[in-house]
Amino acid sequence: MRHTLVALMEDRPAALNRVLGLLRGRALAVYSIAFGESETPGVRRITIVVETTDVQQTIKQLNRLIEVLEVTDVTNAEYVVRETALVKIHAPEQQREEIRTVAEGFGAKIVGICGPTVVFEMTDTPDRLGEMIERAKVFGACETMRSGSLAMALGVTTSPTEVPAREEIGRPWWQADGAC
Amino acid sequence: MTEERFPFPVPVPASGFPPPASRLPPPERTGAQVMCEALLRENVEVMFGIPGGAIMPFYHAMWEYRDCLRHVLCRHEQGAGHAAEGYARSTGKPGVCVATSGPGATNLVTPIANAWMDSTPLVAITGQVSSAVLGKDAFQETDITGITLPITKHNYRVTRAEDLPSVFHEAFHIARSGRPGPVLIDVTKDTQQARVVPDWDVTLNVPGFRPTSAIDQHAVRAAASLLTNASKPLILAGHGVIISGAVAELRALAERTGIPVVTTLHGIGAFPEDHPLSIGMPGMHGWVHVNRAIQECDVLINIGARFDDRVTGKASTFAPRARVIHIDIDPSEIGKNVKVAVAIIGDARSALTALLEEIPPRDAAIWLNDIRESQATHQHRQPYLRRPETTELMPHDVYAALNAALNERGGYRVVTDVGQHQMWAAQLIEWRRPRTHITSGGAGTMGFAVPAAMGAAIAHPDETIWAIVGDGGFQMTNQELATINQEGIRNVKVAIVNNGYLGMVRQWQQLFEGKRYSGTPLSGPSFAGLAEAYGLRGFTIDRIEQAQDSICAAWDHDGSAVLDFRVEREANVFPLVPPGSSIGEMITREASHA
Repeated sequence: MRHTLVALMEDRPAALNRVLGLLRGRALAVYSIAFGESETPGVRRITIVVETTDVQQTIKQLNRLIEVLEVTDVTNAEYVVRETALVKIHAPEQQREEIRTVAEGFGAKIVGICGPTVVFEMTDTPDRLGEMIERAKVFGACETMRSGSLAMALGVTTSPTEVPAREEIGRPWWQADGAC
Repeated sequence: MTEERFPFPVPVPASGFPPPASRLPPPERTGAQVMCEALLRENVEVMFGIPGGAIMPFYHAMWEYRDCLRHVLCRHEQGAGHAAEGYARSTGKPGVCVATSGPGATNLVTPIANAWMDSTPLVAITGQVSSAVLGKDAFQETDITGITLPITKHNYRVTRAEDLPSVFHEAFHIARSGRPGPVLIDVTKDTQQARVVPDWDVTLNVPGFRPTSAIDQHAVRAAASLLTNASKPLILAGHGVIISGAVAELRALAERTGIPVVTTLHGIGAFPEDHPLSIGMPGMHGWVHVNRAIQECDVLINIGARFDDRVTGKASTFAPRARVIHIDIDPSEIGKNVKVAVAIIGDARSALTALLEEIPPRDAAIWLNDIRESQATHQHRQPYLRRPETTELMPHDVYAALNAALNERGGYRVVTDVGQHQMWAAQLIEWRRPRTHITSGGAGTMGFAVPAAMGAAIAHPDETIWAIVGDGGFQMTNQELATINQEGIRNVKVAIVNNGYLGMVRQWQQLFEGKRYSGTPLSGPSFAGLAEAYGLRGFTIDRIEQAQDSICAAWDHDGSAVLDFRVEREANVFPLVPPGSSIGEMITREASHA
């Protein structure tokens, strides 16, 4: 099953390599990955969309990495997910207006025009982006680029299986699925 | 045989820090001097390695510390890595190996992977090309941190000498804490040469590495309740018992509850095999009565083992009637291969201490009696193997003689390699003490035994270290006999179980591939002659009556020795669970003799 994981990790050299290497080594398919600064200096937040049959095992494996501070599976939580796509379309002058109308229908906006091509940008859910790109192909989309999913859980904690603060004595957070 | 020793004096390590201040111009140091002092601060007394261009500044500095930081020059970096592993596995302290950049570093990959699979604390130090040419395909440049990403707990590339104190401290902390494992430190040449005033006031700041935690008392009570109410409980003891020093606690648990104890390959020595509750080794080459007990038990408590596939066979059919309790320090092992009813996360010693507070005395005499009856029917330590008319020496004769000598004399450790001889050793020697059985388990690295025995011999100069090895594995790393001679190591005795085949592969070819012995017949030199050429004592044994005398002569010889036991070529290891099968489906002897 496809899971959306959100992780916090220390910004150490090769941290992203380690995450990807681990997932590859465990034979898990990665659909998208988005990696950037978090609100804390020196800490990165990463969203990974991964196919796994045992997400708890995947989370525990990620937690073995020294730089990984926390991993949350938001798949079954209330969360928002957004992705940005850039799409370049061959657009002769006479089609521009129609393209603009369709784009606006999807909530996309044109961000660049050069010669016979236009580039528009859209931020939405991955599914909606997929629909938009399919539609754009009808117009002769020649180049697409997607950012990978960004996910954020709603509310204070990020997952139903989430878990007491790390400092809490007695029952470490990674034991959430542990005993009994 | 020769009594000549290497003509240069071998530095004798002395403990203690700091080294005499007179030779150090305070307060500035080179990065390489900082590396040496960092090692001393971590109580390192010996390291195994080979110099080369990118690590030369470290070797230059090492000379100043040679009376307190011993360097053992190996003949191949793989040997250096395994020697460090042998040192670590026999002492519990991190082993240290050193190599230069490029091929030196890549030759360490196998021992690093081996340490990763077998949870061995290992710190590998590699030189790297100077920062100025890093990433430019410089001479002997290899991205060793990239290569070792998936087989290290963590690794570092150091490009600033100021970082060395904290990196070394962190590396040793990570290597030995929690579930031990390998850490690699790659230091660029200019960092080793840079001058710096080291700041030793380093505090650990590794928020993502929290290897220990309080034991979950709810889980402990649940485990105690399961064990108390079980009618057929079984203890499966693994490497974690030995690593965490929980041998006494394991024994207390077994004796209080009367629960029979199974020890995995790496758990050998965690529980004495002459104890009435010890029933032996499980798994692919485990005893029939042990595997049957696993398949019949109703509660199985796994203490510090990881349910490796060589133990479980086909995992979905493993211990089908059992509710499983799993004690492991690594949360990712819980539920990885076998479904678990109760998980206790923590080191085996803390977990067992907590469990002992909760669990009342009981006994399991009827159950133990069942197992013993099954054992009487199925376990034959010696005689079940045929003795073909044409041969003089069976492998089992070698082990019988060795077992007798070990138990009579004491003061030994045994390092085994990988293959048939390894399984025979696990089966046929009566193991009693922790850290006396050292082998390559998870990675199955042929060539492990000779260098690892050398490392163990340096750590324990007063003991006799036996390396049991096949003729295949011996020929992979026997160059370290030269190191043994040069270093004046007198307590390594190598027993080669020589059958002229890569025996375990040949056995599988015989049993599963219609005797097509593709790529398995193996020749070699006269191993006794080879030993003599290296300045060690050599023995050749091909008759039963020579075995005991040769073992005693080698043991009494004041120097390292090699014993070439020329055994029946096509003897097999039984019992055997065919790969992919349930451990309930064992082959106990060759079909023609069934």
